[in-house]
Amino acid sequence: MKLTRTLGLLFVAVHANGDVGGASLETKPGSVTGAASDTVWSHRPLVMPKKAAQGIDGFIREKLADAGLQPAGPADERVLRRRLSFDLVGLPPSDASDYEKLVDGLLNSPRFGERWGRHWLDVARYAESNGRESNLTFPHAWRYRDYVIDAVNADVPYDRFITEQIAGDLLSAKDDAERARLLIATGFLALGAKGLNEMSPAQFAADVADEQLDAVTRAVMASSIACARCHDHKTDPFSMEDYYGLVGIFKSTQTFYGNWIDSENSNHGHLIRLPEAAGQSIVGKSLPEARVKQLQADLAKLNADEKEQSEYVAKAQAEKRDISGEFNKLLTNSLRILWTRGGVEGALEAVDDKGRARALCMGVQDAKMVDSPLFERGELAQPREVIPRRFPKLFGIEMSVPKDQSGRLELAKWLTSRQNPLTARVMVNRVWRHLFGAGLVRTMDDFGATGEAPSHPELLDYLAVKFMDGGWSVKKLIKEIVMSETYRQASGAYHEVDPDNRLLSHANKRRLDAEVIRDSMLAVSGILDTSRRPGSLVAELDGQSVSLIGFNEKLPKDLDGSRRRSIYLPVIRDHLPDVLEQFDVANPSLVTGDRDVTNVPLQALYLLNGPFVQEMAAALAKRIEKAPNRVQRAFELCFHRRPDAQEMALADQFLQKAAGDDSKSFTAFCQALLCSAEFRFVD
Amino acid sequence: MISRRHILQTTSSGIGWLAFSALAQAKSGLGSKTAHFAARAKRVIFLTMRGGPSHVDLFDYKPELAKRDGKTATLGRDSAGAKLYAPVHEMRQFGGSGQWMTTLYPHLAKHADDLCIINSAHTDLPNHAQAFVQMHTGSFQFVRPSVGAWTLYGLGTENDNLPGFITLNPPADNGGAQNYGSAFLPAICQGTKIGGSQLPDLYAALLKKDTAPGPPMKNIENKNVPRELQREQIDLIRGLNERKMERDGVHPEIEGMIESFELAFRMQSEVPDVLDMRGESEATLKLYGIGQGKDQFARQCLLARRLAEAGVRFIEIASPVQWDHHNRLREQLATCCGATDQPIAALLSDLKARGMLKDTLVVWAGEFGRTPYAQSGDGRDHNNKGYTIWMAGGGVKGGLRYGSTDEIGYRAVENRLHIHDWHATILHLLGLDHTKLTYNHGGRNFRLTNVGGEVATGILG
Repeated sequence: MKLTRTLGLLFVAVHANGDVGGASLETKPGSVTGAASDTVWSHRPLVMPKKAAQGIDGFIREKLADAGLQPAGPADERVLRRRLSFDLVGLPPSDASDYEKLVDGLLNSPRFGERWGRHWLDVARYAESNGRESNLTFPHAWRYRDYVIDAVNADVPYDRFITEQIAGDLLSAKDDAERARLLIATGFLALGAKGLNEMSPAQFAADVADEQLDAVTRAVMASSIACARCHDHKTDPFSMEDYYGLVGIFKSTQTFYGNWIDSENSNHGHLIRLPEAAGQSIVGKSLPEARVKQLQADLAKLNADEKEQSEYVAKAQAEKRDISGEFNKLLTNSLRILWTRGGVEGALEAVDDKGRARALCMGVQDAKMVDSPLFERGELAQPREVIPRRFPKLFGIEMSVPKDQSGRLELAKWLTSRQNPLTARVMVNRVWRHLFGAGLVRTMDDFGATGEAPSHPELLDYLAVKFMDGGWSVKKLIKEIVMSETYRQASGAYHEVDPDNRLLSHANKRRLDAEVIRDSMLAVSGILDTSRRPGSLVAELDGQSVSLIGFNEKLPKDLDGSRRRSIYLPVIRDHLPDVLEQFDVANPSLVTGDRDVTNVPLQALYLLNGPFVQEMAAALAKRIEKAPNRVQRAFELCFHRRPDAQEMALADQFLQKAAGDDSKSFTAFCQALLCSAEFRFVD
Repeated sequence: MISRRHILQTTSSGIGWLAFSALAQAKSGLGSKTAHFAARAKRVIFLTMRGGPSHVDLFDYKPELAKRDGKTATLGRDSAGAKLYAPVHEMRQFGGSGQWMTTLYPHLAKHADDLCIINSAHTDLPNHAQAFVQMHTGSFQFVRPSVGAWTLYGLGTENDNLPGFITLNPPADNGGAQNYGSAFLPAICQGTKIGGSQLPDLYAALLKKDTAPGPPMKNIENKNVPRELQREQIDLIRGLNERKMERDGVHPEIEGMIESFELAFRMQSEVPDVLDMRGESEATLKLYGIGQGKDQFARQCLLARRLAEAGVRFIEIASPVQWDHHNRLREQLATCCGATDQPIAALLSDLKARGMLKDTLVVWAGEFGRTPYAQSGDGRDHNNKGYTIWMAGGGVKGGLRYGSTDEIGYRAVENRLHIHDWHATILHLLGLDHTKLTYNHGGRNFRLTNVGGEVATGILG
């Protein structure tokens, strides 16, 4: 822990040198805060605080009282209903009813998983293409997306949910459908962005394992253990030994991601075949049987060509004949064989002998068991002592890795052990953030020393312990929070003593997420299709490279053109649908618990000129143009309230001035409502 | 109807005196504001070399490092057993001033006498994300406004029809939008991102689609809604938003949205022309190296000059190549220099020819430098303790070498320049006193340099 101590000094220095006075509420850094302790706050044991009986509201009020602040009082019922509906299902509210019934109804709605599943997909860096230098598609990634939505709807306990994604292949299944579900869950580990053009298989394997370790520890523990690949963690108590002990687990694992070898990819990924009887929907293209025969023949020919060339070279070498003059010719031929064969193998892997498309998924399986050496400064050329697969020596959890398994199952157990204080703390903080706009720990993905300490440490621990006691049920946790008076209070005025509203004297006004903005436009226009999209647009693209996607005339320019919910839009790294891109969707290459909220003119341009918004405005206008009070109806649909006199006057004035083509001006009027701040804010 | 004035007056913690006095006069947007004292630079072009370029190979020549090549470094566990590593490419002196530079920058070397090379930069942490955010905002931990947002806040814009702060192809990682964010400053100070999904050069050339007039700018026109109707529409949106602000009391985000729509409306008339590079002469295109393949960065540099000419206050370009050379340093350094040398030199020449270099501050910097010892045989690790940045034009002394690291280039020792000092100096060049450019957020005055920052007066021309 010497590093932590050094860092402690650094923080003291930064702090002494840092914050200008007067800010009593400035949260202190996550590490040493005054007292001589060298533990990162988040690593301290998790115990139920003494004042648990006071519940969420008690913890919040305690701090408000200390700061001399009053809670804002309950929110207006209409405002609250709107807030709750957007928060729980990401769609505008429907009928009014008793609040608790409304909560239960929303939690049980299939739309809930599409909203909260999306939050997890942010954390899981979910994408349907590789990104980076070799941006190849993942046409089977959508199965993982559907797995997440279903698991969230079924309220699979969070400890089990984590375990399925890290080690689903090692769990027992009662039938083929369950087996398929568990295999698909491990897609979590296969979705990362990889350096596919890496020529060294050892380097590639090390990098894939590193990405997996990084994704797991960031997602579940909000910690960056992967920093210890090259040196002891600079700020947190993770050593290089911890890293190499963990990374062996992933090196003993094979990753199936499905990209075949071509000019952009040197590392064939393969796919997992799902059990035939599992009744999986299959969206891949089938091939005529003759085509399969042809491909098999091509493959045989390519293998023969390769053999021939190898023999030719071997013979020349044996005869000590100089063939360096033929180098270019031979190289060209090798590349032809290699790259053509990749495509043929990829095509054959997707179908059976009759050409019928197979049900395939991304994921992982145990491979040959290996322990990794510690590599000095992360360099493969500098191996030191071998570190047996093991877990960081923290939290007093005793767990060892069996000889004949990778250890992923034990890793999941280590993460979800009651003694691991991070997993529950991190998850309840993620949930809190989606209901209040900011976490109790605002650095959502950094619970280490460079992150922030919690505003309400006891409340965080209360929720975390209760979460575990409640069987890791996310729905129960959400219900407790949204039933609290703190959640139900009005969004009030800004307080100078607490400008960021860390103490929650009132609700935060929040801009809606990109998906919610888009889905709401579809909903109020009356054309939202709530059915699940079978597969994904990405599964329907030809070939595996997305470099040319801008030229694919079949695709809408904004990569939208759909009336289904936004979670079903294609997630191609570096080519996101416009609406998502403009309104700060999570970067799909990074574990993201906290999206940016920007406010820039490009958003205004999208809302004013984007084809999707114009289409929605036209649909909304068409839906209500015949209504007797069409202006009032438009307000009700968009804002769930009637216009006041001033707003009626504004509307009349606009419609009179813009008279001429009435349908055109009424569409422009509807678009203005969709563009307004109120449409994309919850109070 | 509620006015901006009204909002400002009713918000006791409102906007700093600069913004206030300027807003009181300006018709719309941020207006142009008066600096604290005579400015040497009117605008900034920030060339971000993300990844951490190796200063000991590029600008910080250390004969001792060359001499001790292969000797074991004695710098603690991080360097345990690592061997010192001499510069991987030849370095020489250039220009009348005899600036030491790599020979991988033949074009830039011709500007040696324009460059103010600062060898003594240092930052707090050797991690990409934190260091990148600190380079932009001064803080690696808290969400704070970026240097571009502070600049815009302090000086306002010179062109009401364009965002005052534009960032071209910023990386989505390492803090993402935080690096051009406005945090608690008014939303209008936020950087507007342009580009991001341009075609890879190879395909663009292959399909002869590299003639695009500029970076993609979607949604800049509307074929269905005539301009007059759109104006009425924006007035209606504004009315609705003002009504909401009235009900809500204070809601700075909505204030920002109102300004966004106004700016968006005006942008439609000006942006297409600014982005359309077809009017540039053959000679200019050739100067930057446009049309010779691999020209994405060249286009960005040319666009930066066009934006500067058009009155954009702060322009940031992220290097299209990564400088994070843990291995294959020799080869990758040559690639990165090759990809950026000519465009950067062209930008300096072009600005100079147009008489703009004297009041345009061009900044070249990565988030940190690299270690004098080797990693992976032919590579170097991160080094935050000492590294090099350079600035040119905008009132800095050209041909100057400022500060120094120790004999092997590991730690800044003389005229040390912390991020806060560097930010203070940039603001100073823009005519802003970093201790006075404050914003009251929650009863506390915040500034870019926190409570640190000392202007490096030695570099002022």
